[in-house]
Amino acid sequence: MTSKNTSKSTAENTSEKVAPLLQIVDLHVSVEDKEILKGVNLTINAGEIHAIMGRNGSGKSTLSYALMGHPRYKVTSGKMLYKGQEVGEMSPDQRAKLGMALAFQYPVAIPGVSVSNFLRKTVNAVRGRDIPVKEFRLELKALMAKLGVKDEFLSRYVNDGFSGGEKKRLEILQLSMLKPLLAILDETDSGLDIDALKTVSEGINVMAQADTAVLLITHYQRMLNYVQPQFVHVFQDGKIVASGGKELALELEDRGYEWVTQESVDESASAQAKANSSSAAATPVGAK
Amino acid sequence: MAESKLANTIAKERVADLAQRNGEPTWLKDARLAAWEIYLQSPMPTARDDDWRKTEIDNIDLSTFITTDPLTNKAAKAPTMELVQSAIEKLGEPAGIFVDDYSVSQSQFSSVNTDLAKQGVIFMPLIEAIEKHPELVKKIFEQGTASSDDDKFTLMNKALFNSGLLLYVPKNVVIEAPFVSAVNLPVGKTNHAVFPRVFVATEANSQVTLVSIFSDASDNTDVNGTTLSNSIFEITVGAGAKVTVMTVDKLSKQVFAVNRVRTHLHRDGVLNLTTAGLGGKQIKSVIETVMVEQGASSDIRGVVLGDGSEHYSYNTIQKHTCPDTTSNINFRVALKDTSSSVYQGIVVVDKIAQRTAAFQSNKNLLLGTEARADSIPRLEILADDVKCSHGATVGPVDKEQLFYLNCRGLNLKEAEELIVRGFFVQILDGIEIKGAADWVGDLVAEKIYK
Ligand SMILES: Nc1ncnc2c1ncn2[C@@H]1O[C@H](COP(=O)(O)OP(=O)(O)O)[C@@H](O)[C@H]1O
Ligand SMILES: [Mg+2]
Repeated sequence: MTSKNTSKSTAENTSEKVAPLLQIVDLHVSVEDKEILKGVNLTINAGEIHAIMGRNGSGKSTLSYALMGHPRYKVTSGKMLYKGQEVGEMSPDQRAKLGMALAFQYPVAIPGVSVSNFLRKTVNAVRGRDIPVKEFRLELKALMAKLGVKDEFLSRYVNDGFSGGEKKRLEILQLSMLKPLLAILDETDSGLDIDALKTVSEGINVMAQADTAVLLITHYQRMLNYVQPQFVHVFQDGKIVASGGKELALELEDRGYEWVTQESVDESASAQAKANSSSAAATPVGAK
Repeated sequence: MAESKLANTIAKERVADLAQRNGEPTWLKDARLAAWEIYLQSPMPTARDDDWRKTEIDNIDLSTFITTDPLTNKAAKAPTMELVQSAIEKLGEPAGIFVDDYSVSQSQFSSVNTDLAKQGVIFMPLIEAIEKHPELVKKIFEQGTASSDDDKFTLMNKALFNSGLLLYVPKNVVIEAPFVSAVNLPVGKTNHAVFPRVFVATEANSQVTLVSIFSDASDNTDVNGTTLSNSIFEITVGAGAKVTVMTVDKLSKQVFAVNRVRTHLHRDGVLNLTTAGLGGKQIKSVIETVMVEQGASSDIRGVVLGDGSEHYSYNTIQKHTCPDTTSNINFRVALKDTSSSVYQGIVVVDKIAQRTAAFQSNKNLLLGTEARADSIPRLEILADDVKCSHGATVGPVDKEQLFYLNCRGLNLKEAEELIVRGFFVQILDGIEIKGAADWVGDLVAEKIYK
C-alpha cells in the first residue's frame, strides 16, 4: 500500500513538471446566457510569448476575463488547466496567487486608494508575505525608472483621472512587480504613443526574459514590432481560427482578417508547423 | 450625581434649580424658562415627520430619563480617554483641552495655552464662562434665543443645558494648533440625559480649529440603559475669519444622540466642517449653515460608517441669505450589516442671494445586504443667477472594482475593505486639520476591519 502511494505521487510530480503552463481545451464561455467563446483551444508553455489577434468584438477580452475568473463570464464547457490544474472553480485572487495576471484593457479606477498603498497591498497579497518597506521601495523605484513612471504617480489615486497611456503604464508596472508566470496583456498597446509603446514593450520583454509567459492580445500588428511572439493566433467569432509564427501577423496586416477565413489552409497550417514545434498550440485553420 | 426625571411636570423647577445652582444671571434663567415654555407647547417629533424620517423617536419615553448635573469635580489633569489620546498623537500638541468625563472619573478638565489666554482667547466650560464673562456670553447667547422654529429637542437643550463649552477667539488672533474637546457620556443601567451646549464664537480675521469628540465607556454588553445626548453647537464665523471644526461621534449601542449644529458666516468668512458618525444606537444630526454676508463660503463633509443595527439620520441645510456666497456639502455613508441611514439635504437660496454657488453630493455604499440608505435632496431656489448642483448615489460596492482587486490577489473581503477606505479617504483628504485625515482614517479602518 505504502509503496503504491509513493509511486503514485511521484508520477503526479513528474506529470506536473511536463504539464504546459496553460492549456485551454474546447472552452465555451457565456455572458448573460449569450455564448461568446465557442471552443477555444490554446496551449502555452512556460516563458513563451503568444499573440492573439482579432477584430473588436471577436471575444478576446472575454477570454482574458474567463481566464481570470470574472464572475459574469460563465464557463459552460471545456477546460482551463494551469500547470495541469483546473482553475475554473477558483476565485480570481486564488488564480493571481498561483501566478496568473491580467493587464486590463480598461483598467478600473479605485478612488481614494493611492498607487503606492495599492501596489504594496497587492504585491504582498500575491507574493504571500509582507515585503519590508525599504526593499519594496527599491524594487519599485527601479521599475518605475525603467517604465518612465514619475514619482508623483505614487500618491495619485489608482487609475483615477489617468490618461489612457498612464493606465497602461501602471498595468505593466503592476505586472512587473507581481512577477506572474502567465501575463495576459489585453490590448496593452492601445492608447499608447510610440515612445510609450517602446517603453511598455521593453517592460514586457524584461518580464518575458525572466521566464514569464506572455499572452499578448491586440488588434494591431504594431506592438509585435517590439515584442516578438513565437506564436500568433487569429481570433474570430469566439475561437482561434488560425495559428502560426510571427509572419502570420504580417500577413494579417497586409491582407486583412477576411483572408484568414477565406483562404489558404495550407499556408497557415505549414506556418504553424514550422513555428510551433514544441507547443501543441491551436487548432490550425480549417482543422475543425 | 443629583437626579431628576425628564418629565414635563417637574421640569420647570428643575430648570429654575439649574440656573440657581450655577449662579446664573436673571436673563439666562429667563431664557431657560422661556425655552421650557415653548418646549411644552412643541409636539414630540415622530418617525412620520419629514425631519425625523425613519428615526425611532417614538420609542423614547422622556420621563424615564435622568438628567445629569454639571460636573463640579475638577480634574488636575485631563482624564484618560482613548480617543483624546489618539487624537493628540495624530494632531499634535493642542491649543487647549476640554474633557467632561461622566463615564469614568466623573470629573471635568479644561486648559488653554497661556499665551492664547493672554491674547483674550477663551476656552472653558460654558457654566464657568457664564460666571467669568457674563457680558460676552450674553452677547453670544442673544444670537440663539429660543423660538418656535426650534424643534422639541433644541428647546429641551436650551432649557436644560448642563455641560459644554465656550471657545471665543478675539479679532486677528490666528491659532494653528487645534483645540480638542471631549465628552465621555454617562452610560449604565438607567437612562441618562446630557445636554451639552457648545459655542464657537470668532471675531474678524481670526482663525481657529476645534476637534470635538463624543464617546462613552460602554462595552456594549450592559444594554439596559439608554443615554440621550442632546447637543447644540453654535458656530459664528466672523468677517474674514476661518473656522475649522471636526466632530466625531463614536458612541456605543446604548447612546441615542441628537445634535444640532448651527453656523453663521459673516463677510468673507470661511468654514470647513467635518462630521464623522462612527457609532451609536441612533445618531440624528441637523447641520445648518447660514451665509449671512457676502463672500462667505462653507465646506461641509460627512463621513458615516454604520454597523449592526445602527441608524444615522443627517439633515443638512445650506441657507444663502445674501449674494455671492458659496456652500459645498459632501456626505459619504457606508453601511454594514443591517444598519441604515437617511440623508436629507436642503439648499435654500433667497431671492436676493444672486450669484450663489451651492453644491451637494451624497454617496452611499451598502455593504450589508440588508443595509438601507435613503437620500432625499431638496432645492428651494428663489434667485435666478445661481450655480447649484446635487447628486446622490446608493448601491453596493462596484463589481468591476472588486474584480480588478481580486485579480491583484486580494480576496473579496480585503478588496471591499480597501474600496470602502478609499471611499472615505477622498473626503478625509479635504479636512484642513493636519493629521486629522490620518486619525479619522484609522478610526474608520478600525470599524471597517472589525
Ligand atoms: N459584459 C458583457 N455583457 C454583454 N456582452 C458582452 C460583455 N462582454 C462582452 N460582450 C460581448 O461579447 C462579444 C465579445 O466581446 P469582447 O470579448 O470584449 O471582444 P474583444 O475584446 O475581442 O473586442 C461582443 O459581442 C460583446 O458585445
Ligand atoms: Mg477587448
